[in-house]
Amino acid sequence: MDMHDGNELPATAAVVIIGAGISGCSIAREVVKHTPDVVILEKETDVADATTKANNAEVHSGIGEKYGTLKQKLNVRGNLLYDSFVEGLGIPLKRQGLMIVITPRTLPENYTRWLPKRTVAWLLRKVVPRLILRNGRKKGIPGLRALTAEEIFTMEPHVTKNAVAGVFDPTYGLVSPYKLTIALAENCVLNGARVFLSTEVTGIKVQNGKVTGVVTDRGEIAAPIVVNAAGVFADEIAEMAGAGGFKIHPRKGASLLFDRDITADYVRSSVAEFRMFRKGSSKGGGAMPTAEGNLQLGPTAIETDDKHDTSISAEEIQEIFDRFYYLLPDFPRSAMISAFSGIRAPTEDEDFIIGASEAVAGFVNVAGIQSPGLAAAPAIAEMVIGILQGLGVPREERADYDPVRPAPPKFSELSNEERDRLIERDPRYGHVICRCEQITEGEVVDAIHSVIPARTMDAVKRRTRVGMGRCQGGFCGYRAAEILAREWGIPVTEVTKDGDGSWVFAGETKSFEVAEDSAVPGGDES
Amino acid sequence: MKKIRKPDLAVIGAGPAGLAAALAARKAGLKDILLIDRDFELGGILQQCIHDGFGSMVFKEVLTGPQYAQRFIDEIAGTDIEIMLSTMVLDLRADRLITAVNSRDGMVEIQPKSLVLAMGCRERSRHQIMIPGFRPAGVITAGAAQRDINIDGIMPGRKLVILGSGDIGLIMARRFTLEGAQVEGVYELMDHPGGLTRNVVQCLNDFDIPLHLSHTVSFIHGRRRVSGVTVAAVDESLKTIPSTERFVPCDTLCLSVGLIPENELSKHAGVQLDPVTAGPFVDERMETSVEGVFACGNVVNVFDLVDYVTKSAQSAGLGAAEYVMTGRKREGGIRVEPGRNVKYVVPQFISDPSRDVDFYFRVEHPEKAVTARVIAGAEEVTKKKHRMVRPPEMLQSTASGERLTASGEPSKITVEVIGSDEQA
Amino acid sequence: MTSKHEYTCINCPLSCALELTEDEGEVLGVTGEGCKVGTKYARQEFTDAQRVVTTTVPVRDGSLPLLPVRSAGTIPKRLVMTAARELATVVVEAPVKNGQVILHDLLGTGVDVIASRDLEKAGS
Repeated sequence: MDMHDGNELPATAAVVIIGAGISGCSIAREVVKHTPDVVILEKETDVADATTKANNAEVHSGIGEKYGTLKQKLNVRGNLLYDSFVEGLGIPLKRQGLMIVITPRTLPENYTRWLPKRTVAWLLRKVVPRLILRNGRKKGIPGLRALTAEEIFTMEPHVTKNAVAGVFDPTYGLVSPYKLTIALAENCVLNGARVFLSTEVTGIKVQNGKVTGVVTDRGEIAAPIVVNAAGVFADEIAEMAGAGGFKIHPRKGASLLFDRDITADYVRSSVAEFRMFRKGSSKGGGAMPTAEGNLQLGPTAIETDDKHDTSISAEEIQEIFDRFYYLLPDFPRSAMISAFSGIRAPTEDEDFIIGASEAVAGFVNVAGIQSPGLAAAPAIAEMVIGILQGLGVPREERADYDPVRPAPPKFSELSNEERDRLIERDPRYGHVICRCEQITEGEVVDAIHSVIPARTMDAVKRRTRVGMGRCQGGFCGYRAAEILAREWGIPVTEVTKDGDGSWVFAGETKSFEVAEDSAVPGGDES
Repeated sequence: MKKIRKPDLAVIGAGPAGLAAALAARKAGLKDILLIDRDFELGGILQQCIHDGFGSMVFKEVLTGPQYAQRFIDEIAGTDIEIMLSTMVLDLRADRLITAVNSRDGMVEIQPKSLVLAMGCRERSRHQIMIPGFRPAGVITAGAAQRDINIDGIMPGRKLVILGSGDIGLIMARRFTLEGAQVEGVYELMDHPGGLTRNVVQCLNDFDIPLHLSHTVSFIHGRRRVSGVTVAAVDESLKTIPSTERFVPCDTLCLSVGLIPENELSKHAGVQLDPVTAGPFVDERMETSVEGVFACGNVVNVFDLVDYVTKSAQSAGLGAAEYVMTGRKREGGIRVEPGRNVKYVVPQFISDPSRDVDFYFRVEHPEKAVTARVIAGAEEVTKKKHRMVRPPEMLQSTASGERLTASGEPSKITVEVIGSDEQA
Repeated sequence: MTSKHEYTCINCPLSCALELTEDEGEVLGVTGEGCKVGTKYARQEFTDAQRVVTTTVPVRDGSLPLLPVRSAGTIPKRLVMTAARELATVVVEAPVKNGQVILHDLLGTGVDVIASRDLEKAGS
């Protein structure tokens, strides 16, 4: 199957953005308000197909970030901008707040061992909440308020009874990281930008200390401005330009996902446990619903050398149960439906690196975007467009920029009358192929023919949620593959889960190939 | 405003359970019956169960799944039962209002006088049993693989490891082999096979496919496509023993790790579910806790034999007909308790002990030389000796209404399995 | 020369582990049985193990691409894999009736292979 759709790379572009994750696409949308001559290059088969797809969907308030860091500042600014950021994209933002609970685990045992129990209790109930509030005010977080244990249990009756006090963080929100990224990218394309998937950057051309272009595995583009938003590979891309000097040290994180209906019975806001003096640099995680309402427990934070290691170990699964089940102890384990894992892209300093390179004019690094990368996205884009305008991108907004990206219809959220109108227009909206999430053939066809077409099972899944329900694709898997095959005009045996090598079906029945003779691809990992 | 259909009976699911329930209701005199299924044809799961072993009780013949289904499909064709295919039920209310959709009619609302739930099961997935590793293409459940091969003509893989020795896993080991694939082995967590011995012999032994008991898969390898699995032995508490880990190259992991009755719609309707069966509490007419709503087949509990499914469905169809035609309401209910070495019994309640009841039950652990008994109050009502009982093989016992009420209405009914020497 | 063969009886949940001793094909005895059925089963499995074959056969112009079929009776166990390969080459034309003979005299066994269901023509 031709993953490139036959599209040729242009000879030139005003701005080339490397990486179509949340950072790259947020920046692209800002740029496209000023010029349509933007090219986004992405080496995976879809946008949001690397770190972004494993993001936990949290639009943090900024309270968890170290004061004075760039990421803390951009987080707070980004959170503030979020409602206008998503406007017109057809992507819901749910500001349902974060409940930060204080428990006996909040203060490490070696600190409290020597103190009388009553002192510890007083510290936890009275002192710690005030510390959190003060810290939050310093960072500019609006709306924080302390919670007593009674208030916690009234708001969230299933939270652990070990909670002694808490703080409510109302500006915290949830958004689907990949749906948002897809919407941003589509808005860019609708406004004239071009996205090239399955296109890997292999070199950056520099002459006399200035960027002149980008070399990819299928051609070159001349460009005076290159934005490096390449996630876990940002250090390698920067090195290609001679604009490096930092290293990404990958850190993987896994989360468990639970049934949506059962989540709704147990918890409404996200719940995190406040832990002081903890080792490790990633934020604590907790029990958070996704934007669609599935409870997530996690994420873990495991240092790794391998930028491709998204495996989940038995120890990680156990860790998630030990650390996060504590928060919702009576939540049924049988409600678990899935697990996912991704690789964060932190730098050694654990802060964002956003700036025009001093060594190579026109090369802008947007690196080290780990959490709060999703929350900070609007502010990152705001900061970068300022930098790019200093490099020559027009300051005035285009008159012909259209901020609206029409969202495809979502059958499961429509009224019966709206559904009937859809079905009258196209009967395929009456054919439900994903029973668990109630998704129709019409929606799968939409995803395949959308502005950034879905070419793989995972791309269909990200756009429609097919395969994300209780049965995890058991019922709908073949049906989705069949539709992909039909719409792309390929045999169903060429359909992949996520690009090259991830074939779904080996072949037709009645072909008695000896197993040893037939290709057993997939030796892509030890 | 579209008209709401108002049949006497709506049946959700046209597999063996739904088919038998609709026919039984018709034979009992109910006139306006609507049978709904999401698939494009009748027969449900039977259409992909192309192996034989069905019908020895109901038809006194050993048939394949499709042959068994065809008997009911032919019989339905001779009635005026209305059929809605390729129709998905989206929602169900406690007042029995059904919201469904299909391409031809669009949104459809149905308000039946009585309802039979026959939605069957879904399969347990990889993450529900928390297998560590990567998440490549090539992890598939046995039922999905069965449908791929037998209905769609597509091979999910060519070199497989099967996890789980329930009947579906065993059957698929043979099916894959007969289609030219290579099954490296079947791995079973417990220390005994999960399915019938007949299937172990005719699906594994016949093809020299090894069965590894007390084993599991502890890691899935491969970033894009499965490249192999790590298998390991487990100890008595079912924890993997790291020193026994072994890498098995393969391109597909096929999972046969359990069936879950598909009761999402039942929950929406407020039907009370039994946590042990994961299906509705039912009485001897298969009526649930919601008046006029009946359930039958695998949505109630996982039956092994389709013959039992048919019988339970006939009770449900009769029950629905009785409810509509006589207005009989379910009252009270004598609790049926699982006794010694019985994991669960269906039905869980008896509304009218003066009628004959079919009890279906499973033992907790294997046991030799036992007697299975139904006890009403203090009276032994049925008694049957078994040389061996095993959890994978469901037991059945019919208690006559006469004997159930021999000493008046019993306050409690117990179904138990005791050592044959231990009788009172 | 005597040899021993092991079988698991499939007749009841006891699943007795049977051991059959034979000399040049003549059955000398069976041990491990819980009842007479086991003895008979072991003998049958040794002298003439029989199996039903079930598989699918490609269909031309049908509402489905495959037709499930079964052997009308049992055939020798050693022929099952060959039978599956043989049937893979058969193509059936829709419509098909339940019980219709798809292949006569499978591999010379005298046993027919029949359709397990009705299957209509495409578009009906």
